[in-house]
Amino acid sequence: MYETLNDPIDVLVTFAQNRVQPRWFRWNGRNYQVKKVSLVHTAREGMKRVFYFSVSDLTNFFKLKLDPDLLEWRLVELYTDGA
Amino acid sequence: MPTERIILHVDMNSYFASVEQQANPLLRGKPIGVTGKRQERSVVAAASREAKKLGVKTAMATWEAKRILPSIVIVPGDPEKYGEITSRFNAIFREFTDRVEMFSVDESFLDVTDCAHDYLGAAVIAHIIKQRLREACGEWITASIGVGPNKLVAKAASECMKPDGLVIVRPEQVLEFLSGLDLQDICGIGPRIARRLDAMGITSMAQLRACPPEKLIHAFNSYGLWLHHAAHGRDDSEVSSADDAPKSVGHSYTFPKDLQTPEDMKRGLLGLCDKVAWRLRRDGFSARCVSVYARFGNFSGTGKQHRFREPINDGLALFRIAWRLLRPGISRPVRLLGVSASELTSGPEQPSLFIREQKIAGTLKALDRLQTRFGDRAWTRASLLRTEFLPRTSGFHYDHEI
Repeated sequence: MYETLNDPIDVLVTFAQNRVQPRWFRWNGRNYQVKKVSLVHTAREGMKRVFYFSVSDLTNFFKLKLDPDLLEWRLVELYTDGA
Repeated sequence: MPTERIILHVDMNSYFASVEQQANPLLRGKPIGVTGKRQERSVVAAASREAKKLGVKTAMATWEAKRILPSIVIVPGDPEKYGEITSRFNAIFREFTDRVEMFSVDESFLDVTDCAHDYLGAAVIAHIIKQRLREACGEWITASIGVGPNKLVAKAASECMKPDGLVIVRPEQVLEFLSGLDLQDICGIGPRIARRLDAMGITSMAQLRACPPEKLIHAFNSYGLWLHHAAHGRDDSEVSSADDAPKSVGHSYTFPKDLQTPEDMKRGLLGLCDKVAWRLRRDGFSARCVSVYARFGNFSGTGKQHRFREPINDGLALFRIAWRLLRPGISRPVRLLGVSASELTSGPEQPSLFIREQKIAGTLKALDRLQTRFGDRAWTRASLLRTEFLPRTSGFHYDHEI
């Protein structure tokens, strides 16, 4: 089920071919490995552009938000199969 | 140079649902329905292929979809995500031709006459578009493409094979192709027109084609002539890529609960007028006509229009006119309000001689700068602090882009 969040997270990323890819992130004291990045999209907040990464560890779906002005990552959405 | 046009119609399959399934692999293969941000009174803006197979239809009320298919996963829509994917595929289309007409958020017409040269070239372009879509948007987002000598035939062709189809109808195949369609497969023939045709004894495309145009014109006026041409697969309308200036700017909103008091209705209307006025100012327009509409809880409604001499683009001024028009017709709780500004003018404004109006104009300019920089939540009127408008998922435009 979907859960909307706005939790700050620590993220390990790689920069390659002009792209940033989240690889691991730490949330609620647990480490999650990003196994798949399914979609990257941006959104405007006024003149600011923020990036959203739709990722999964093959068990859960996460939407991560990167604010490039603040260099801050947040977990904004979580989906887990089942009730 | 080819003398006949070659038109592509690209229709993204179960668009919003496919984007959600692309983003979240755990949703793939499952029946999902994309709805508004809040679910009460919302409709299924898009159902996934799996949900459609099990009876859920686009535009069905969310509660009805859940009743038909209790296992459906309801996903709150994310218009900004869809907006970006829409921009990506329209950019792909413009790699082939600058004549691209966005027919809706998930459908576009392309006039590829010059770059395709012939129908083989058009088929190649269609395949390349499908490949580029997969690369730019993801493997789960697919499109059905119809190719034909005009928009009417191309659109009907794209509807024939879903998902991920490609149907090509050459000019010499048009009549045979149309004969295999139902009347309502033609864009422009809806249930009401189909019922009227049925009453005339016309239930198939062949019968419509055989019907004398005079009879159709007698029954449908000028639309009868369009029906006659449609039955023969004729459509001269251009693929219009020009960003024509809008004729009107409007907003409507269905409230989570019926508005009971005049105060609530005024707040709702003022909020909508502010949205309309912001878009007017942002795009350099003022309006000389205001239309306002209210739909009541029982789905009856009232609406009025007023023209005036001095063009305006201030939300409060729009509201005062709109409320004056609407107030006498309000007889019961209001479900939906809509306001539209038309007879638009552009160009330099005549500054007011009155200090109060000069101050208002200066304040609006400052607020517009704020909104441009920080987004549409940068400021609100104190009277609207408790009034919230959630972004819609469906519609021709995404709210965040207008």
